[in-house]
Amino acid sequence: MGVEFEPKIVAFMCNWCTYAGADNAGVARMESPSNVLPIRVMCSGRISPEMVMRAFRAGADGVLVMGCHIGDCHYSTGNHRSVKRMPLLRNLLATVGVNPERLELTWVSAAEAPRFVQVTHSFTDKIRSLGPLSQEVAE
Amino acid sequence: MIDEIRKIVAERLNETDDKGARLDGMVALRRTGPAVAPHVFVAGDDLSTLEINPRYPLMTVVSRLHKRLPDIRLGVVARGCDERAYVEMAKRNQIDPERLVILGFACTAEEALECYCAEPFPKNLVVGTPAAPGPQNPIVAKYDTMTLAERRAFWKQQFVKCIKCYGCRNICPECFCEACAMEDKAWVEPGFLAPPFPAFHLIRAMHMASRCIACRQCEHTCPAHIPLTVLYDLMRRDMEALLGYVPGADLAALPPLSVTLEQTPLLLGDAHDPATIPLAPIGR
Repeated sequence: MGVEFEPKIVAFMCNWCTYAGADNAGVARMESPSNVLPIRVMCSGRISPEMVMRAFRAGADGVLVMGCHIGDCHYSTGNHRSVKRMPLLRNLLATVGVNPERLELTWVSAAEAPRFVQVTHSFTDKIRSLGPLSQEVAE
Repeated sequence: MIDEIRKIVAERLNETDDKGARLDGMVALRRTGPAVAPHVFVAGDDLSTLEINPRYPLMTVVSRLHKRLPDIRLGVVARGCDERAYVEMAKRNQIDPERLVILGFACTAEEALECYCAEPFPKNLVVGTPAAPGPQNPIVAKYDTMTLAERRAFWKQQFVKCIKCYGCRNICPECFCEACAMEDKAWVEPGFLAPPFPAFHLIRAMHMASRCIACRQCEHTCPAHIPLTVLYDLMRRDMEALLGYVPGADLAALPPLSVTLEQTPLLLGDAHDPATIPLAPIGR
């Protein structure tokens, strides 16, 4: 009964690596899931916990934070911030009982269009199997 | 103990250091009628009104005085938690260590118990003998075995009581940002009581990640009796596991969330592959 659940995914992508990688995936006609709403930011280090919380509040069932690999950050160490912050936020979500798998941090470079496609597909599949966040939080 | 503190405060206020300088005042609590309030005692004041109870974050007073009066040299009568608050505040330029003398006293065993305090005494201990650390909060102790659903049920029942008074933020010695994310409409929508689950409290918790020194003031203040320190104790534990950082422990230790991986590396997992960074245990 009913329509199969399709998750909404908010993907924060850094301007210099992941966004270019996503762009290249599109140029190469690779298919990435339409569930993903890309939000371009200048650096993954710009993603504050408030932004992630707002994405969830606005209806995202999963949030992906993507940036340059360590060592490749356009601002040298912006992604150092995100790799310290996001695992803490994942734990905090788990602490209040929200499945921490709904937030994921990963690195995708401009040259990794296939990786962009793979990451977005597997994350979308994972969130699809977890079900809607609204259901989880409303329990 | 209080008599000894009053005596030492009197001595310190009249002392001159090797450069011939005196303290301009001593920050402590003062009894006025039935109430107690923060006060700056100066040489010659009646110190019989100086009090140490109830617990109050006096470092916020020191910080304000340091900012307004750039030359003032102060002393402060401090507990262990006050001293830890000082460490994180000084690190973030809220207090000038060069202009502060800490006169520390030990909390009683009952206070340590009540606060679940791991370190109920300051490093600059001048009065009293250190009490044994309090036990771990029983909810924190069993937390790893709780499932996500149990945790959710627990916190929803707690957070729904929130009347959004901002008391937790206002009393916190480590909350000193000029613009507060919890008052920004972009992050906390106005017009909801209780605030939407769980953004309001998580935003504060994340901001406390490298700052919370476990003074318990937020929980003591909360009119809705939300056990906020459970949230912050778990945050502190995750922080120590992932980055080896214990807020309030060491003035020289860099706040890890503000610096690079070279300065404070991850202790768990590989930063090159964030998927390898483990989560804290969750009950099944």
